[in-house]
Order: sequence, then structure tokens, then C-alpha cells
Amino acid sequence: MITIENLTVKYGGVVALDSLTLNISDDVVGLIGPNGAGKTTLTNAFSGFAPVTDGKVVIDGVNLLHMAPHKRACWGLARSFQKVQVVDDITVADHLRTVLTANGVPRSARNARMSEVLDFTNITDERDTLGADLNPFQKRMTEIAKCLIDRPRIILLDEPGGGLSEGEMQHLRFIIRETKSRFGAQIIMVDHDVDLIRDVCASTAVLDFGKLIAFGPTEDVLRDEAVKAAYLGR
Amino acid sequence: MPRSQITPLAILLIGVLILPLILSSLWVKVVTSAAIFALGAAGISVLFAQLGLINLAQIALIGVGGWVALRLNYATPLPFTVIVVIAGVATAFVGAILALPALRMRGLYLALVTLMAAGAFQILFNAFQFPNGGEGFWGVARQSAADIRRPSVAQSDVGYLRYTLVIMAAGFGLVALHRITGPGRAWAMIRQSEANAMAAGINVTFYKIWAFALSGLLAGIAGALLSGALGQLDARSFLASEGILLFALAVVGGAYSWVGAIIAGVLYKLLPALLNDWGLSADLALILFGAALLHAIMTAPRGIAGQLLGALQRKPS
Ligand SMILES: Nc1ncnc2c1ncn2[C@@H]1O[C@H](COP(=O)(O)OP(=O)(O)OP(=O)(O)O)[C@@H](O)[C@H]1O
Ligand SMILES: [Mg+2]
Repeated sequence: MITIENLTVKYGGVVALDSLTLNISDDVVGLIGPNGAGKTTLTNAFSGFAPVTDGKVVIDGVNLLHMAPHKRACWGLARSFQKVQVVDDITVADHLRTVLTANGVPRSARNARMSEVLDFTNITDERDTLGADLNPFQKRMTEIAKCLIDRPRIILLDEPGGGLSEGEMQHLRFIIRETKSRFGAQIIMVDHDVDLIRDVCASTAVLDFGKLIAFGPTEDVLRDEAVKAAYLGR
Repeated sequence: MPRSQITPLAILLIGVLILPLILSSLWVKVVTSAAIFALGAAGISVLFAQLGLINLAQIALIGVGGWVALRLNYATPLPFTVIVVIAGVATAFVGAILALPALRMRGLYLALVTLMAAGAFQILFNAFQFPNGGEGFWGVARQSAADIRRPSVAQSDVGYLRYTLVIMAAGFGLVALHRITGPGRAWAMIRQSEANAMAAGINVTFYKIWAFALSGLLAGIAGALLSGALGQLDARSFLASEGILLFALAVVGGAYSWVGAIIAGVLYKLLPALLNDWGLSADLALILFGAALLHAIMTAPRGIAGQLLGALQRKPS
């Protein structure tokens, strides 16, 4: 259960999130809205990268905002970025090892964990490939593998579907649907692809100008007139 | 043993066995100095290559290591090698303190902060000089300097060159070990994006401080070795401007490999001595360095070492 209460983020004069209040309990929750609505800002507020001026984010009774950013990760918050953040000169396995070390996963468990997530994300063959030599899909999958490997409670995905082909999208859908049952993590996913959101998200929140304009079961939200006007443009 | 380790070890063995045989006594001293500053340059490279941080205070830190070593030499009966280790650790702490501004700054601003630190040390070294066996905390005597102990295996200059080369190689090994293990991976991720690193659970503050401490450790060891090589240190060798020069040479040599650090040490100490030997002004070295720096900035971002290693790799075996 994630409780967001009165969350406000300001960049100078720009109010990127305006007193946002939201309770999230579904396994996969979508977050949509036009460009500049504050979607990335919300994920950044979770991670500790956005200047939060008010409010709280409480997950399982813990207020995230009181923790240093890296401690939030160790506590169980994982995320991917809108722009993929794969490091060129280390291998896929090294990306995963870094997360395992940082989160204090015991050595004995590391190899099994690594094989498990590599298999799940379909990049077992790229285990020893350098970041620079991965294709865009493999980069995305490396990021998702990084998210999964320390068994987080929550995973934030910021536009994971950007630039993927139809076949690759199918695999992404599979990963998102299976994550809760296999790894126990709840997912909040930002994306512009309404079909993807419709397929995988039980409920969806819509932001516009930093304000929540709709929240509920995905189908209902996508039919909402205000949402259509603000976002879907039809 | 992987090939990547055989080559450097073979070069070390050749250096330790052959160099002392072919060098005259003057050049033994020069090469010893070059090796010492190569070790110091390796510390600059760690920060620059792993984290993109500019440290212009490495010469000052070498001075700190030298000061600690001389102080301990006169105040305690500790063996030289122990003194080297203590000087390294003490300087690592000073390096870690230098990291504090680095936590908030990058690029030019950080460079300026380290330059100011180097300037402050220059003033301190000038005001208090280096211990030479005198009384009191600062240990400076007016008369000529008392002896500095060297390790029993390295009493002669030739022995000391060998000793220095082995410690230099160990220092390079320590850096290599960092690169291929946890800290190196964490640094790589921090270099890519601090946000990304934090999101992966990496304590960015800790790993930045660690990098500065490692750089300080190498500087401190280099400083202690220098005190043993020269027997006495002169405040004029530790000017802030020398820190800029060593940084520039570490970049020219190539910050991404130990070969670059050796090139930096050679350029810093050997080239001026060579020019002197040929009857040319050692100041000519500065002009050459300037040209080399421009070359590095414009065409060889991985330095001379990068070009050499690139050429070797391209050559079909
Ligand atoms: N680091 C920052 N500094 C200043 N303003 C920012 C910063 N990050 C975001 N903003 C502003 O906050 C608002 C919300 O931006 P945000 O990136 O959260 O939008 P978004 O919903 O993720 O958009 P997109 O769909 O384009 O990714 C925008 O007006 C943006 O200009
Ligand atoms: Mg965004």
C-alpha cells in the first residue's frame, strides 16, 4: 500500500506537483499525462531527486521522504529512468553485481539471483556484454534486471516502452505482468503508450499540470471525458 | 594468471633487474624520482578516469606524505616501510577531507578548490619547512640535516630504486584491484549519473570519499618514498603550480591506465633531466608539456598511453 499525501514539488516558480494525494494498492499502476505533467517528477520525488516542499510518501508505514536516496533503494525502492542509464564500459553482469553489493545481498545468493533475472528479462546471452554493445531493448532489459535483482517492494518504471518494437513490447508486457507473482514487487509505470497501459495496469492515475485529474480502474479512466480532453486529445 | 597481469609483472621484473644495471648513479636517482611521481600521478588518474574529478593538489599531498614520513623518521624508531604505510594512511585521511568539497562540486569549481588547498599547503610548507632532525613539533634544525633511515634491503641508491619500483607496482596493483571490483563498478555508475547510482543503492558520498582517500594514499606513499630518496625535502618542490603540472601530465600520459601514470612520471622528472643532460634548458620541458597537453585535449583524450595501447591492439598478432 502506497500513500501519497499532499505531495508538492517546486522547481523555482514551477509547481511540478501540486498537493498530490493518491492511494495505490494494485500490483501494476499506470501513470499518464501530457508532456510536462509531472510524471517523472513524481518518480523523482519517490527517489529523493526532486525538491519536495510538502507532503509525504508512505509505503508499508514508512515515510520514504525521511530516507537518503541510496537508503531508499536499499529499503526496497527500485526504478528505471526515462533515458536509459546503462554504463558503457561495464558488463551487464557488473551492473547487476553493483546493485547486489550496494544492497548487501549475501554472496551465496548472488549467482542464483543473477541467473534468475537474466533469464526472466531474456538477456542471459548478454551477461558478459559491455553496456556500449547492447541494443536498445537489451539496455531496457538490463535496467529492469537491475530493478528486480535486489527483490524490491516497489519498482518505478519511467517510460519503459520507449523505442521498443512490437515483439519487444510483448516481452515487456510479460515481464510487467509477472513481476508481482515472481518477485513480489509492486510496479508504478509511466508511459505514453495507452495500449500498454490498458493491457497491464489494473488502475491508472492521470496527471496534468502537476495535479491529479483522474484515478481509478484503467478502463474507466481512459473513458473519462476530462482525461480525453487533457491527454488523449480526442 | 590472465594475460592482463602477466605483462605488467614482466615489465616490473625487467625494470627491477635491468634498470639498475644499465643506469649510471645519477640516472638511478632520476628514475627513482620518476617512479615516485608516477605513483602520485596514478592517484590523479583514479579520480580523473573513474569519476571525472580534477585534483590539482596531488603534489601538496605528496608533500604531506613526505612531511609525515620525515617527522616519524626523526621522532620514532619505526622501520622505513612502516613509516611509508603510516604516511600513506595519514595522507589518505587528508585526501578524504579534500573530498568534502568534491561532494558538491565538479569540473572547474572543484579544480579551483583543490588549487586553493594546494596553495594553502604551499604556504604551510614554506612557513614551517620539512623536518630535518631538529627539536620540537616542526623538527626543523638550522644545521645540516640528520640522516633518514632507509630499509635494510634498500640502503644503496640501486637498492632503493628496486624498492621504489616494487612499491610503485603494488600501488598500481591496488588501483587495478579497485577498478575491477566493487568500488570500480560503483565509480563507473556514479560517473554515468549520480542519480542512477543512488537509485541502485550506491552510497555516492562514501565512494567519492573513498576515491579521494585512495588518491591520497598513493600521494602519501609517494611522499614518503621521496623523503627516503632525497633524504631531505625542500618546500620549493611542492608549489601549487607543480600540482597543476602533474595533473596535466597525468592527462597527457593517459589517465585510464598505469602506462599513462608511468609516462607522466617520466615526463615530469626524466624529461627535464634529459634536456639538462643535452645542454638544453629544462624550461623547454614546459613548452613541450604545453604542446603535449594541447595534443591530448584535441586528439588523444585517453592520452599517450591510450594511443600506444590502441596501436598495440590494432597490430595483428
Ligand atoms: N530539474 C528540473 N528543473 C526545473 N524544472 C523541472 C525539472 N524537472 C522537471 N521540471 C519541470 O517540471 C514539470 C514537470 O516535468 P516532468 O519531467 O515531471 O514531466 P513529465 O510528465 O515526466 O513529462 P514527459 O512526458 O515529457 O516526460 C515541467 O514543467 C518541467 O519543466
Ligand atoms: Mg517524464
